[in-house]
Amino acid sequence: MTTPKIGRCRGLTHRSREAVYGYAFVLVWIVGFALFTAVPLLQTLYYSLNQVTVTATGISLEHIQWQNYTRALFTDPTFVQLLIEYAIETLVAVPIILIFSLIIALFLNLKFRFKGIFRTIFFLPVVITSGPVIQELVAQGATSVPGLAISATATEYIAQLPDYFRNPIEYLLTSFILILWFSGVQILIYLSSLQKIDQSIYQAAAIDGASAWESFWKITLPALSTTTLIVAVYTIITLSHFSENKVIKYIYSQTYAVGGGIGYASAMSFLYFFVLFLLLTVIYLLLNYRAKRQFG
Amino acid sequence: MRRGRSRRRFSGIYSNKTNPKGFHPSQIKFYVILLPLAAFMLLPTIFIFSHAFKPPDELFAYPPRFFVINPTTKNFADLFSRMGNSGVPVSRYLFNSILITAVTIAASMLVSTLAAYALSKKRFKLKKTLFAINTVALMFVPIAVTIPRFLIIEKLSLMDTYFVHILPVLALPVGLFLIKQFIDGIPDEVVQAAQIDGASDVVIYWRIIVPMIKPAIATIAILTFQAAWNNAEISTLYINSESLKTFAFYLSTLTATTAGANVVAGQGMAAAAALIMFLPNLIIFIILQSQVMNTMSHSGLK
Repeated sequence: MTTPKIGRCRGLTHRSREAVYGYAFVLVWIVGFALFTAVPLLQTLYYSLNQVTVTATGISLEHIQWQNYTRALFTDPTFVQLLIEYAIETLVAVPIILIFSLIIALFLNLKFRFKGIFRTIFFLPVVITSGPVIQELVAQGATSVPGLAISATATEYIAQLPDYFRNPIEYLLTSFILILWFSGVQILIYLSSLQKIDQSIYQAAAIDGASAWESFWKITLPALSTTTLIVAVYTIITLSHFSENKVIKYIYSQTYAVGGGIGYASAMSFLYFFVLFLLLTVIYLLLNYRAKRQFG
Repeated sequence: MRRGRSRRRFSGIYSNKTNPKGFHPSQIKFYVILLPLAAFMLLPTIFIFSHAFKPPDELFAYPPRFFVINPTTKNFADLFSRMGNSGVPVSRYLFNSILITAVTIAASMLVSTLAAYALSKKRFKLKKTLFAINTVALMFVPIAVTIPRFLIIEKLSLMDTYFVHILPVLALPVGLFLIKQFIDGIPDEVVQAAQIDGASDVVIYWRIIVPMIKPAIATIAILTFQAAWNNAEISTLYINSESLKTFAFYLSTLTATTAGANVVAGQGMAAAAALIMFLPNLIIFIILQSQVMNTMSHSGLK
Protein backbone atom coordinates (compact mmCIF):
# COMPACT_ATOMS: atom_id res chain seq x y z
CA MET A 1 0.00 0.00 0.00
CA THR A 2 1.89 3.04 -1.17
CA THR A 3 -0.75 5.67 -0.57
CA PRO A 4 0.72 8.66 1.28
CA LYS A 5 -0.16 8.43 4.94
CA ILE A 6 -2.00 11.20 6.62
CA GLY A 7 -0.78 12.37 9.95
CA ARG A 8 2.77 11.12 9.63
CA CYS A 9 4.88 12.80 12.22
CA ARG A 10 8.57 13.52 12.42
CA GLY A 11 10.05 11.18 9.85
CA LEU A 12 12.59 8.87 11.40
CA THR A 13 11.25 8.24 14.87
CA HIS A 14 7.84 7.36 13.60
CA ARG A 15 9.18 5.30 10.78
CA SER A 16 11.54 3.33 12.94
CA ARG A 17 8.82 2.74 15.50
CA GLU A 18 6.61 1.52 12.70
CA ALA A 19 9.37 -0.86 11.62
CA VAL A 20 9.97 -2.12 15.15
CA TYR A 21 6.29 -2.91 15.60
CA GLY A 22 6.18 -4.47 12.17
CA TYR A 23 9.07 -6.81 12.89
CA ALA A 24 7.76 -7.58 16.36
CA PHE A 25 4.43 -8.69 14.94
CA VAL A 26 6.04 -10.95 12.34
CA LEU A 27 8.80 -12.23 14.58
CA VAL A 28 7.09 -15.35 15.92
CA TRP A 29 6.03 -16.24 12.43
CA ILE A 30 9.53 -15.69 11.04
CA VAL A 31 11.08 -17.96 13.68
CA GLY A 32 8.54 -20.72 13.13
CA PHE A 33 8.76 -20.40 9.39
CA ALA A 34 12.55 -20.40 9.31
CA LEU A 35 12.84 -23.33 11.66
CA PHE A 36 10.26 -25.66 10.22
CA THR A 37 9.94 -24.58 6.61
CA ALA A 38 12.82 -22.49 5.28
CA VAL A 39 15.74 -24.40 6.81
CA PRO A 40 14.28 -27.82 5.91
CA LEU A 41 13.76 -26.57 2.37
CA LEU A 42 17.41 -25.59 2.02
CA GLN A 43 18.35 -28.93 3.48
CA THR A 44 16.17 -30.64 0.90
CA LEU A 45 17.85 -28.66 -1.85
CA TYR A 46 21.19 -29.88 -0.57
CA TYR A 47 19.96 -33.46 -0.40
CA SER A 48 18.74 -33.28 -3.96
CA LEU A 49 22.34 -32.88 -5.09
CA ASN A 50 23.49 -35.90 -3.13
CA GLN A 51 23.08 -39.61 -2.94
CA VAL A 52 21.55 -39.93 0.53
CA THR A 53 21.86 -43.16 2.46
CA VAL A 54 20.35 -43.66 5.86
CA THR A 55 22.67 -45.62 8.12
CA ALA A 56 22.38 -46.74 11.70
CA THR A 57 24.44 -43.79 12.91
CA GLY A 58 22.79 -41.11 10.83
CA ILE A 59 22.70 -39.93 7.26
CA SER A 60 25.61 -40.24 4.89
CA LEU A 61 25.88 -38.04 1.84
CA GLU A 62 27.74 -38.49 -1.38
CA HIS A 63 27.85 -35.54 -3.73
CA ILE A 64 26.64 -36.48 -7.19
CA GLN A 65 25.86 -33.06 -8.69
CA TRP A 66 22.79 -33.08 -10.94
CA GLN A 67 22.44 -36.82 -11.34
CA ASN A 68 19.23 -37.01 -9.34
CA TYR A 69 17.68 -34.41 -11.60
CA THR A 70 18.82 -35.96 -14.84
CA ARG A 71 17.60 -39.32 -13.62
CA ALA A 72 14.13 -37.94 -12.83
CA LEU A 73 13.86 -36.13 -16.14
CA PHE A 74 15.48 -38.52 -18.56
CA THR A 75 15.67 -42.00 -17.06
CA ASP A 76 12.56 -42.33 -14.93
CA PRO A 77 9.67 -43.23 -17.22
CA THR A 78 6.88 -42.53 -14.71
CA PHE A 79 7.84 -39.19 -13.23
CA VAL A 80 7.77 -37.03 -16.36
CA GLN A 81 4.58 -38.73 -17.48
CA LEU A 82 2.93 -37.94 -14.15
CA LEU A 83 4.18 -34.36 -14.23
CA ILE A 84 2.69 -33.75 -17.67
CA GLU A 85 -0.60 -35.34 -16.64
CA TYR A 86 -0.66 -33.19 -13.54
CA ALA A 87 0.02 -30.01 -15.52
CA ILE A 88 -2.77 -30.76 -17.99
CA GLU A 89 -5.23 -31.65 -15.24
CA THR A 90 -4.45 -28.47 -13.38
CA LEU A 91 -4.86 -26.33 -16.47
CA VAL A 92 -8.24 -27.98 -17.05
CA ALA A 93 -9.39 -27.81 -13.46
CA VAL A 94 -8.38 -24.24 -12.59
CA PRO A 95 -10.60 -22.45 -15.12
CA ILE A 96 -13.53 -24.70 -14.22
CA ILE A 97 -13.13 -24.02 -10.52
CA LEU A 98 -12.73 -20.29 -11.14
CA ILE A 99 -15.80 -20.00 -13.33
CA PHE A 100 -17.91 -22.32 -11.22
CA SER A 101 -17.09 -20.58 -7.97
CA LEU A 102 -17.66 -17.16 -9.50
CA ILE A 103 -21.08 -18.18 -10.83
CA ILE A 104 -22.07 -19.74 -7.52
CA ALA A 105 -20.81 -16.69 -5.66
CA LEU A 106 -22.88 -14.42 -7.92
CA PHE A 107 -25.93 -16.55 -7.25
CA LEU A 108 -25.37 -16.65 -3.53
CA ASN A 109 -25.01 -12.90 -3.50
CA LEU A 110 -28.52 -12.44 -4.86
CA LYS A 111 -31.66 -12.04 -2.87
CA PHE A 112 -33.68 -15.15 -2.24
CA ARG A 113 -34.92 -17.26 0.57
CA PHE A 114 -32.76 -19.84 2.39
CA LYS A 115 -29.68 -18.20 0.97
CA GLY A 116 -27.85 -18.80 4.23
CA ILE A 117 -28.48 -22.52 4.01
CA PHE A 118 -27.28 -22.63 0.42
CA ARG A 119 -24.11 -20.78 1.32
CA THR A 120 -23.43 -23.31 4.03
CA ILE A 121 -24.02 -26.25 1.72
CA PHE A 122 -21.67 -24.93 -0.93
CA PHE A 123 -18.99 -24.35 1.67
CA LEU A 124 -19.49 -27.79 3.20
CA PRO A 125 -17.19 -29.79 0.86
CA VAL A 126 -14.32 -27.95 2.54
CA VAL A 127 -14.56 -30.40 5.42
CA ILE A 128 -14.25 -33.30 2.99
CA THR A 129 -11.49 -32.51 0.55
CA SER A 130 -8.75 -32.10 3.10
CA GLY A 131 -9.74 -35.12 5.15
CA PRO A 132 -9.05 -38.79 4.66
CA VAL A 133 -12.61 -39.41 3.50
CA ILE A 134 -11.87 -38.26 0.00
CA GLN A 135 -9.79 -41.35 -0.76
CA GLU A 136 -12.79 -43.49 -0.04
CA LEU A 137 -14.95 -41.41 -2.34
CA VAL A 138 -12.48 -41.44 -5.20
CA ALA A 139 -12.14 -45.20 -4.85
CA GLN A 140 -15.90 -45.58 -4.98
CA GLY A 141 -16.15 -43.62 -8.21
CA ALA A 142 -18.38 -41.06 -6.55
CA THR A 143 -16.48 -38.25 -8.24
CA SER A 144 -17.38 -39.04 -11.83
CA VAL A 145 -20.20 -37.55 -13.81
CA PRO A 146 -23.02 -40.02 -13.18
CA GLY A 147 -24.10 -41.89 -16.27
CA LEU A 148 -21.81 -40.10 -18.66
CA ALA A 149 -18.60 -41.86 -17.78
CA ILE A 150 -20.06 -45.30 -18.26
CA SER A 151 -22.11 -44.53 -21.34
CA ALA A 152 -20.81 -46.65 -24.18
CA THR A 153 -21.20 -44.06 -26.90
CA ALA A 154 -19.28 -41.52 -24.94
CA THR A 155 -16.42 -43.93 -24.26
CA GLU A 156 -16.38 -44.96 -27.90
CA TYR A 157 -16.24 -41.37 -29.01
CA ILE A 158 -13.52 -40.39 -26.57
CA ALA A 159 -11.36 -43.35 -27.59
CA GLN A 160 -11.22 -41.90 -31.11
CA LEU A 161 -9.64 -38.66 -29.97
CA PRO A 162 -5.91 -38.08 -29.99
CA ASP A 163 -4.09 -38.48 -26.69
CA TYR A 164 -3.50 -34.85 -25.80
CA PHE A 165 -7.20 -34.21 -26.26
CA ARG A 166 -8.48 -37.39 -24.71
CA ASN A 167 -6.67 -37.16 -21.37
CA PRO A 168 -8.19 -33.86 -20.28
CA ILE A 169 -11.66 -35.02 -21.30
CA GLU A 170 -11.33 -38.29 -19.45
CA TYR A 171 -10.09 -36.40 -16.44
CA LEU A 172 -13.10 -34.13 -16.68
CA LEU A 173 -15.54 -37.02 -16.82
CA THR A 174 -14.01 -38.96 -13.96
CA SER A 175 -13.34 -36.05 -11.64
CA PHE A 176 -15.88 -33.39 -12.48
CA ILE A 177 -17.62 -33.54 -9.13
CA LEU A 178 -14.28 -33.65 -7.38
CA ILE A 179 -13.39 -30.40 -9.12
CA LEU A 180 -16.62 -28.83 -7.92
CA TRP A 181 -15.93 -29.94 -4.36
CA PHE A 182 -12.74 -27.93 -4.44
CA SER A 183 -14.65 -24.68 -4.81
CA GLY A 184 -15.67 -24.06 -1.20
CA VAL A 185 -13.07 -21.54 -0.11
CA GLN A 186 -13.02 -20.01 -3.58
CA ILE A 187 -16.75 -19.27 -3.47
CA LEU A 188 -16.22 -17.65 -0.11
CA ILE A 189 -13.39 -15.41 -1.32
CA TYR A 190 -15.44 -14.32 -4.33
CA LEU A 191 -18.48 -13.70 -2.18
CA SER A 192 -16.60 -11.45 0.20
CA SER A 193 -15.14 -9.36 -2.61
CA LEU A 194 -18.49 -9.14 -4.37
CA GLN A 195 -19.88 -7.61 -1.22
CA LYS A 196 -17.12 -5.04 -1.12
CA ILE A 197 -18.03 -3.60 -4.51
CA ASP A 198 -19.65 -0.23 -4.04
CA GLN A 199 -23.39 -0.51 -4.71
CA SER A 200 -23.62 3.06 -5.97
CA ILE A 201 -21.52 2.18 -9.02
CA TYR A 202 -24.24 -0.23 -10.12
CA GLN A 203 -26.89 2.37 -9.48
CA ALA A 204 -25.00 4.96 -11.50
CA ALA A 205 -24.52 2.47 -14.33
CA ALA A 206 -28.20 1.55 -14.25
CA ILE A 207 -29.18 5.21 -14.48
CA ASP A 208 -26.93 5.52 -17.51
CA GLY A 209 -28.87 2.64 -19.03
CA ALA A 210 -26.48 -0.25 -18.50
CA SER A 211 -28.11 -3.67 -18.46
CA ALA A 212 -27.31 -6.27 -15.83
CA TRP A 213 -25.23 -8.12 -18.39
CA GLU A 214 -23.21 -5.02 -19.20
CA SER A 215 -22.64 -4.07 -15.61
CA PHE A 216 -21.45 -7.60 -14.88
CA TRP A 217 -18.76 -7.37 -17.57
CA LYS A 218 -17.86 -3.75 -17.01
CA ILE A 219 -18.13 -3.43 -13.24
CA THR A 220 -18.20 -6.77 -11.46
CA LEU A 221 -15.56 -8.63 -13.40
CA PRO A 222 -12.90 -5.88 -13.46
CA ALA A 223 -13.46 -5.31 -9.75
CA LEU A 224 -12.80 -8.99 -9.15
CA SER A 225 -9.57 -9.26 -11.11
CA THR A 226 -7.28 -9.22 -8.06
CA THR A 227 -9.56 -11.66 -6.31
CA THR A 228 -9.45 -13.97 -9.31
CA LEU A 229 -5.68 -14.03 -9.10
CA ILE A 230 -5.79 -14.93 -5.41
CA VAL A 231 -8.40 -17.59 -6.04
CA ALA A 232 -6.31 -19.02 -8.88
CA VAL A 233 -3.19 -19.20 -6.75
CA TYR A 234 -5.12 -20.79 -3.90
CA THR A 235 -6.72 -23.31 -6.27
CA ILE A 236 -3.42 -24.39 -7.79
CA ILE A 237 -1.90 -24.76 -4.35
CA THR A 238 -4.73 -26.89 -2.97
CA LEU A 239 -4.85 -29.03 -6.08
CA SER A 240 -1.13 -29.68 -5.98
CA HIS A 241 -1.05 -30.42 -2.25
CA PHE A 242 -4.09 -32.68 -2.41
CA SER A 243 -3.25 -36.01 -0.82
CA GLU A 244 -4.62 -37.99 -3.76
CA ASN A 245 -2.35 -36.15 -6.18
CA LYS A 246 -0.45 -38.75 -8.20
CA VAL A 247 2.84 -36.88 -8.34
CA ILE A 248 2.91 -36.52 -4.57
CA LYS A 249 2.05 -40.17 -4.11
CA TYR A 250 4.90 -41.10 -6.44
CA ILE A 251 7.44 -38.87 -4.71
CA TYR A 252 6.30 -40.25 -1.38
CA SER A 253 6.67 -43.84 -2.54
CA GLN A 254 10.14 -43.11 -3.91
CA THR A 255 11.34 -41.58 -0.64
CA TYR A 256 11.30 -44.95 1.06
CA ALA A 257 11.79 -47.15 -2.00
CA VAL A 258 14.93 -49.22 -2.36
CA GLY A 259 15.83 -47.82 -5.78
CA GLY A 260 14.78 -44.28 -4.90
CA GLY A 261 16.01 -42.66 -1.73
CA ILE A 262 15.81 -39.29 -0.06
CA GLY A 263 18.11 -37.51 -2.49
CA TYR A 264 16.13 -38.63 -5.48
CA ALA A 265 12.80 -37.74 -3.88
CA SER A 266 14.17 -34.30 -2.97
CA ALA A 267 15.20 -33.70 -6.56
CA MET A 268 11.73 -34.67 -7.71
CA SER A 269 10.16 -32.34 -5.17
CA PHE A 270 12.16 -29.47 -6.60
CA LEU A 271 11.21 -30.36 -10.15
CA TYR A 272 7.59 -30.51 -9.06
CA PHE A 273 7.99 -27.14 -7.42
CA PHE A 274 9.44 -25.79 -10.64
CA VAL A 275 6.45 -27.01 -12.69
CA LEU A 276 4.11 -25.53 -10.11
CA PHE A 277 5.96 -22.26 -10.34
CA LEU A 278 5.65 -22.26 -14.13
CA LEU A 279 1.92 -22.96 -13.90
CA LEU A 280 1.44 -20.11 -11.46
CA THR A 281 3.42 -17.79 -13.70
CA VAL A 282 1.33 -18.71 -16.73
CA ILE A 283 -1.92 -18.15 -14.86
CA TYR A 284 -0.61 -14.94 -13.35
CA LEU A 285 0.37 -13.54 -16.74
CA LEU A 286 -2.93 -14.58 -18.30
CA LEU A 287 -5.02 -12.99 -15.58
CA ASN A 288 -2.88 -9.90 -15.40
CA TYR A 289 -3.19 -9.42 -19.14
CA ARG A 290 -6.95 -9.79 -18.95
CA ALA A 291 -7.18 -7.40 -16.03
CA LYS A 292 -5.12 -4.76 -17.83
CA ARG A 293 -7.16 -5.05 -20.97
CA GLN A 294 -10.38 -4.59 -19.11
CA PHE A 295 -9.23 -1.52 -17.32
CA GLY A 296 -7.61 0.01 -20.38
CA MET B 1 -39.41 -0.36 -8.79
CA ARG B 2 -39.63 -4.09 -8.29
CA ARG B 3 -39.29 -4.79 -11.98
CA GLY B 4 -36.28 -2.52 -12.23
CA ARG B 5 -34.71 -4.37 -9.37
CA SER B 6 -35.13 -7.81 -10.78
CA ARG B 7 -33.44 -6.68 -13.98
CA ARG B 8 -30.35 -5.68 -12.11
CA ARG B 9 -30.51 -8.51 -9.68
CA PHE B 10 -28.08 -10.66 -11.63
CA SER B 11 -25.18 -8.32 -11.10
CA GLY B 12 -25.20 -9.26 -7.46
CA ILE B 13 -26.62 -6.20 -5.80
CA TYR B 14 -29.10 -5.63 -2.99
CA SER B 15 -27.83 -8.12 -0.53
CA ASN B 16 -27.68 -6.41 2.79
CA LYS B 17 -29.37 -9.24 4.65
CA THR B 18 -28.65 -12.90 4.24
CA ASN B 19 -32.25 -13.99 3.95
CA PRO B 20 -34.91 -11.69 2.60
CA LYS B 21 -38.24 -11.73 4.38
CA GLY B 22 -40.55 -12.57 1.56
CA PHE B 23 -40.68 -15.20 -1.07
CA HIS B 24 -41.28 -14.09 -4.61
CA PRO B 25 -42.01 -16.31 -7.62
CA SER B 26 -39.06 -14.73 -9.42
CA GLN B 27 -36.80 -16.55 -6.99
CA ILE B 28 -37.83 -19.94 -8.30
CA LYS B 29 -35.24 -19.88 -11.08
CA PHE B 30 -32.46 -19.70 -8.48
CA TYR B 31 -33.71 -22.81 -6.77
CA VAL B 32 -33.91 -24.64 -10.07
CA ILE B 33 -30.22 -24.04 -10.64
CA LEU B 34 -28.93 -24.16 -7.10
CA LEU B 35 -30.80 -27.16 -5.73
CA PRO B 36 -29.23 -29.81 -8.00
CA LEU B 37 -25.78 -28.32 -7.44
CA ALA B 38 -26.37 -28.23 -3.72
CA ALA B 39 -27.29 -31.90 -3.88
CA PHE B 40 -23.89 -32.63 -5.44
CA MET B 41 -22.20 -30.69 -2.71
CA LEU B 42 -23.98 -32.72 -0.06
CA LEU B 43 -23.03 -36.05 -1.65
CA PRO B 44 -19.77 -36.70 0.19
CA THR B 45 -21.30 -36.03 3.59
CA ILE B 46 -24.24 -38.31 2.89
CA PHE B 47 -21.86 -40.90 1.56
CA ILE B 48 -19.80 -40.98 4.76
CA PHE B 49 -22.89 -41.58 6.85
CA SER B 50 -24.35 -44.14 4.53
CA HIS B 51 -21.04 -45.96 4.09
CA ALA B 52 -20.47 -46.42 7.81
CA PHE B 53 -23.68 -48.40 8.20
CA LYS B 54 -23.17 -50.75 5.26
CA PRO B 55 -22.98 -54.50 5.92
CA PRO B 56 -19.96 -56.30 4.36
CA ASP B 57 -21.73 -57.45 1.21
CA GLU B 58 -22.71 -53.88 0.37
CA LEU B 59 -19.26 -52.51 1.15
CA PHE B 60 -17.78 -54.80 -1.47
CA ALA B 61 -20.67 -54.68 -3.92
CA TYR B 62 -19.74 -54.13 -7.53
CA PRO B 63 -20.69 -51.75 -9.00
CA PRO B 64 -20.38 -49.84 -5.72
CA ARG B 65 -23.64 -48.63 -4.24
CA PHE B 66 -23.95 -45.14 -2.92
CA PHE B 67 -26.76 -45.58 -0.41
CA VAL B 68 -26.98 -48.23 2.25
CA ILE B 69 -29.87 -50.67 1.86
CA ASN B 70 -29.75 -52.77 5.02
CA PRO B 71 -28.17 -50.48 7.60
CA THR B 72 -26.28 -52.23 10.37
CA THR B 73 -24.35 -51.03 13.39
CA LYS B 74 -22.03 -54.01 13.29
CA ASN B 75 -19.14 -51.90 12.01
CA PHE B 76 -19.34 -49.74 15.10
CA ALA B 77 -19.68 -52.72 17.40
CA ASP B 78 -16.53 -54.24 15.87
CA LEU B 79 -14.68 -50.98 16.24
CA PHE B 80 -15.70 -50.43 19.85
CA SER B 81 -14.89 -53.97 20.86
CA ARG B 82 -11.42 -53.48 19.43
CA MET B 83 -11.05 -50.21 21.29
CA GLY B 84 -11.75 -52.08 24.53
CA ASN B 85 -8.63 -54.19 24.00
CA SER B 86 -6.16 -51.39 23.46
CA GLY B 87 -3.19 -50.92 25.80
CA VAL B 88 -3.60 -47.20 26.31
CA PRO B 89 -7.14 -46.10 27.14
CA VAL B 90 -8.95 -44.56 24.18
CA SER B 91 -9.81 -41.50 26.25
CA ARG B 92 -6.10 -40.71 26.39
CA TYR B 93 -5.84 -40.51 22.60
CA LEU B 94 -8.97 -38.41 22.51
CA PHE B 95 -7.61 -36.08 25.16
CA ASN B 96 -4.35 -35.70 23.21
CA SER B 97 -6.19 -34.92 20.00
CA ILE B 98 -8.51 -32.39 21.59
CA LEU B 99 -5.71 -30.62 23.45
CA ILE B 100 -3.42 -30.53 20.43
CA THR B 101 -6.14 -29.35 18.08
CA ALA B 102 -7.32 -26.60 20.42
CA VAL B 103 -3.84 -25.25 21.11
CA THR B 104 -2.86 -25.48 17.45
CA ILE B 105 -5.89 -23.50 16.29
CA ALA B 106 -5.51 -20.79 18.93
CA ALA B 107 -1.77 -20.40 18.51
CA SER B 108 -1.68 -20.53 14.73
CA MET B 109 -4.53 -18.04 14.43
CA LEU B 110 -2.65 -15.63 16.68
CA VAL B 111 0.65 -16.06 14.84
CA SER B 112 -0.80 -15.77 11.34
CA THR B 113 -3.10 -12.84 12.03
CA LEU B 114 -0.35 -10.87 13.78
CA ALA B 115 2.07 -11.53 10.94
CA ALA B 116 -0.57 -10.87 8.30
CA TYR B 117 -1.50 -7.55 9.92
CA ALA B 118 2.13 -6.43 9.96
CA LEU B 119 2.75 -7.58 6.38
CA SER B 120 -0.39 -5.88 5.16
CA LYS B 121 -0.59 -2.61 7.05
CA LYS B 122 2.80 -1.87 8.62
CA ARG B 123 5.64 -0.34 6.66
CA PHE B 124 9.08 -1.83 7.00
CA LYS B 125 11.88 -2.86 4.72
CA LEU B 126 11.63 -6.61 4.47
CA LYS B 127 7.86 -6.73 4.23
CA LYS B 128 7.60 -7.40 0.50
CA THR B 129 10.46 -9.90 0.60
CA LEU B 130 8.91 -11.81 3.47
CA PHE B 131 5.59 -12.16 1.71
CA ALA B 132 7.30 -13.20 -1.50
CA ILE B 133 9.21 -15.88 0.40
CA ASN B 134 5.96 -17.05 1.92
CA THR B 135 4.31 -17.29 -1.49
CA VAL B 136 7.22 -19.29 -2.86
CA ALA B 137 7.15 -21.58 0.18
CA LEU B 138 3.47 -22.10 -0.50
CA MET B 139 4.39 -23.98 -3.64
CA PHE B 140 6.52 -26.56 -1.92
CA VAL B 141 4.93 -29.85 -1.16
CA PRO B 142 4.97 -30.60 2.55
CA ILE B 143 6.51 -34.03 1.99
CA ALA B 144 9.63 -32.36 0.61
CA VAL B 145 10.54 -31.17 4.08
CA THR B 146 9.53 -34.21 6.10
CA ILE B 147 13.00 -35.62 6.57
CA PRO B 148 14.97 -32.40 7.22
CA ARG B 149 12.20 -31.42 9.61
CA PHE B 150 12.69 -34.70 11.39
CA LEU B 151 16.37 -33.90 11.89
CA ILE B 152 15.64 -30.43 13.22
CA ILE B 153 13.04 -31.73 15.62
CA GLU B 154 15.53 -34.28 16.83
CA LYS B 155 18.20 -31.62 17.33
CA LEU B 156 15.85 -29.42 19.31
CA SER B 157 15.02 -32.53 21.36
CA LEU B 158 11.35 -32.06 20.66
CA MET B 159 10.82 -35.72 19.89
CA ASP B 160 8.16 -37.33 22.04
CA THR B 161 6.65 -34.10 23.36
CA TYR B 162 3.38 -32.33 22.81
CA PHE B 163 5.30 -29.47 21.20
CA VAL B 164 6.12 -31.50 18.16
CA HIS B 165 2.42 -31.76 17.35
CA ILE B 166 1.95 -28.02 17.54
CA LEU B 167 5.11 -26.09 16.66
CA PRO B 168 5.72 -27.27 13.09
CA VAL B 169 2.22 -26.35 11.94
CA LEU B 170 2.10 -22.90 13.56
CA ALA B 171 3.67 -20.92 10.74
CA LEU B 172 1.80 -22.41 7.80
CA PRO B 173 2.16 -20.40 4.59
CA VAL B 174 -1.44 -20.97 3.42
CA GLY B 175 -3.02 -19.36 6.46
CA LEU B 176 -0.85 -16.28 6.23
CA PHE B 177 -1.50 -16.00 2.50
CA LEU B 178 -5.29 -16.03 2.87
CA ILE B 179 -5.49 -13.84 5.97
CA LYS B 180 -3.21 -11.22 4.47
CA GLN B 181 -5.46 -11.01 1.41
CA PHE B 182 -8.43 -10.36 3.67
CA ILE B 183 -6.59 -7.69 5.66
CA ASP B 184 -5.55 -6.07 2.38
CA GLY B 185 -9.27 -5.64 1.77
CA ILE B 186 -9.59 -3.36 4.79
CA PRO B 187 -9.07 0.22 3.66
CA ASP B 188 -5.90 1.89 4.97
CA GLU B 189 -8.02 4.85 6.03
CA VAL B 190 -9.57 2.79 8.81
CA VAL B 191 -6.17 2.08 10.31
CA GLN B 192 -5.02 5.66 9.80
CA ALA B 193 -8.11 7.05 11.47
CA ALA B 194 -7.42 4.88 14.49
CA GLN B 195 -3.80 6.02 14.52
CA ILE B 196 -4.87 9.64 14.53
CA ASP B 197 -7.13 8.89 17.45
CA GLY B 198 -4.05 7.63 19.25
CA ALA B 199 -4.65 3.90 19.10
CA SER B 200 -1.56 1.77 19.53
CA ASP B 201 -0.73 -1.08 17.19
CA VAL B 202 -1.93 -3.67 19.65
CA VAL B 203 -5.25 -1.86 20.00
CA ILE B 204 -5.60 -1.50 16.23
CA TYR B 205 -4.89 -5.17 15.79
CA TRP B 206 -7.22 -6.37 18.50
CA ARG B 207 -10.08 -3.88 18.24
CA ILE B 208 -10.16 -3.18 14.52
CA ILE B 209 -8.39 -5.80 12.43
CA VAL B 210 -9.49 -8.94 14.25
CA PRO B 211 -13.20 -8.09 14.39
CA MET B 212 -13.15 -7.12 10.72
CA ILE B 213 -11.56 -10.31 9.49
CA LYS B 214 -13.57 -12.66 11.68
CA PRO B 215 -14.97 -14.51 8.66
CA ALA B 216 -11.46 -15.12 7.36
CA ILE B 217 -10.33 -16.28 10.79
CA ALA B 218 -13.28 -18.65 11.02
CA THR B 219 -12.48 -20.03 7.56
CA ILE B 220 -8.85 -20.63 8.36
CA ALA B 221 -9.86 -22.08 11.72
CA ILE B 222 -11.99 -24.68 9.94
CA LEU B 223 -9.09 -25.58 7.67
CA THR B 224 -6.60 -25.68 10.54
CA PHE B 225 -8.93 -27.81 12.59
CA GLN B 226 -9.01 -30.42 9.89
CA ALA B 227 -5.28 -30.39 9.40
CA ALA B 228 -4.70 -30.81 13.12
CA TRP B 229 -7.51 -33.21 13.91
CA ASN B 230 -6.88 -35.58 11.02
CA ASN B 231 -3.12 -35.58 11.42
CA ALA B 232 -1.80 -39.08 12.00
CA GLU B 233 1.53 -38.43 10.32
CA ILE B 234 3.18 -36.51 13.15
CA SER B 235 2.35 -39.34 15.56
CA THR B 236 3.91 -41.82 13.18
CA LEU B 237 7.08 -39.88 12.52
CA TYR B 238 7.97 -37.90 15.62
CA ILE B 239 6.30 -39.71 18.52
CA ASN B 240 7.43 -43.00 19.97
CA SER B 241 5.55 -43.00 23.25
CA GLU B 242 2.10 -44.48 22.72
CA SER B 243 0.48 -42.18 25.29
CA LEU B 244 1.33 -39.04 23.28
CA LYS B 245 -0.18 -40.14 19.99
CA THR B 246 -3.38 -38.79 18.53
CA PHE B 247 -6.82 -40.25 18.03
CA ALA B 248 -6.44 -40.08 14.26
CA PHE B 249 -3.32 -42.20 14.49
CA TYR B 250 -5.04 -44.65 16.81
CA LEU B 251 -8.00 -45.12 14.48
CA SER B 252 -5.72 -45.63 11.51
CA THR B 253 -3.86 -48.42 13.33
CA LEU B 254 -7.12 -50.05 14.35
CA THR B 255 -8.42 -50.23 10.85
CA ALA B 256 -5.15 -51.10 9.16
CA THR B 257 -5.34 -54.62 7.83
CA THR B 258 -1.99 -55.48 9.38
CA ALA B 259 -3.50 -55.11 12.82
CA GLY B 260 -4.74 -58.67 12.58
CA ALA B 261 -8.26 -57.90 11.47
CA ASN B 262 -9.33 -59.64 8.32
CA VAL B 263 -9.87 -57.51 5.25
CA VAL B 264 -13.64 -57.61 5.36
CA ALA B 265 -14.01 -56.52 8.97
CA GLY B 266 -11.20 -53.99 8.43
CA GLN B 267 -13.15 -52.26 5.65
CA GLY B 268 -16.27 -52.02 7.75
CA MET B 269 -14.38 -50.65 10.71
CA ALA B 270 -12.56 -48.19 8.49
CA ALA B 271 -15.90 -46.87 7.29
CA ALA B 272 -17.16 -46.54 10.85
CA ALA B 273 -13.89 -44.90 11.94
CA ALA B 274 -14.12 -42.47 9.04
CA LEU B 275 -17.52 -41.37 10.28
CA ILE B 276 -16.26 -40.96 13.84
CA MET B 277 -13.30 -38.92 12.62
CA PHE B 278 -15.53 -36.87 10.39
CA LEU B 279 -18.16 -35.91 12.97
CA PRO B 280 -15.99 -33.36 14.86
CA ASN B 281 -15.13 -31.75 11.52
CA LEU B 282 -18.80 -31.39 10.76
CA ILE B 283 -19.62 -30.07 14.24
CA ILE B 284 -16.85 -27.45 14.12
CA PHE B 285 -17.97 -26.52 10.64
CA ILE B 286 -21.57 -26.02 11.77
CA ILE B 287 -20.47 -23.95 14.76
CA LEU B 288 -18.13 -21.73 12.77
CA GLN B 289 -20.01 -21.43 9.51
CA SER B 290 -22.45 -18.88 10.89
CA GLN B 291 -19.41 -16.73 11.68
CA VAL B 292 -18.14 -17.27 8.17
CA MET B 293 -21.42 -16.50 6.48
CA ASN B 294 -22.98 -13.78 8.59
CA THR B 295 -20.06 -11.52 9.26
CA MET B 296 -19.11 -11.79 5.63
CA SER B 297 -21.93 -9.46 4.68
CA HIS B 298 -20.69 -6.51 6.70
CA SER B 299 -16.97 -6.96 6.73
CA GLY B 300 -15.03 -4.05 5.36
CA LEU B 301 -16.39 -0.68 4.44
CA LYS B 302 -18.64 0.14 1.59
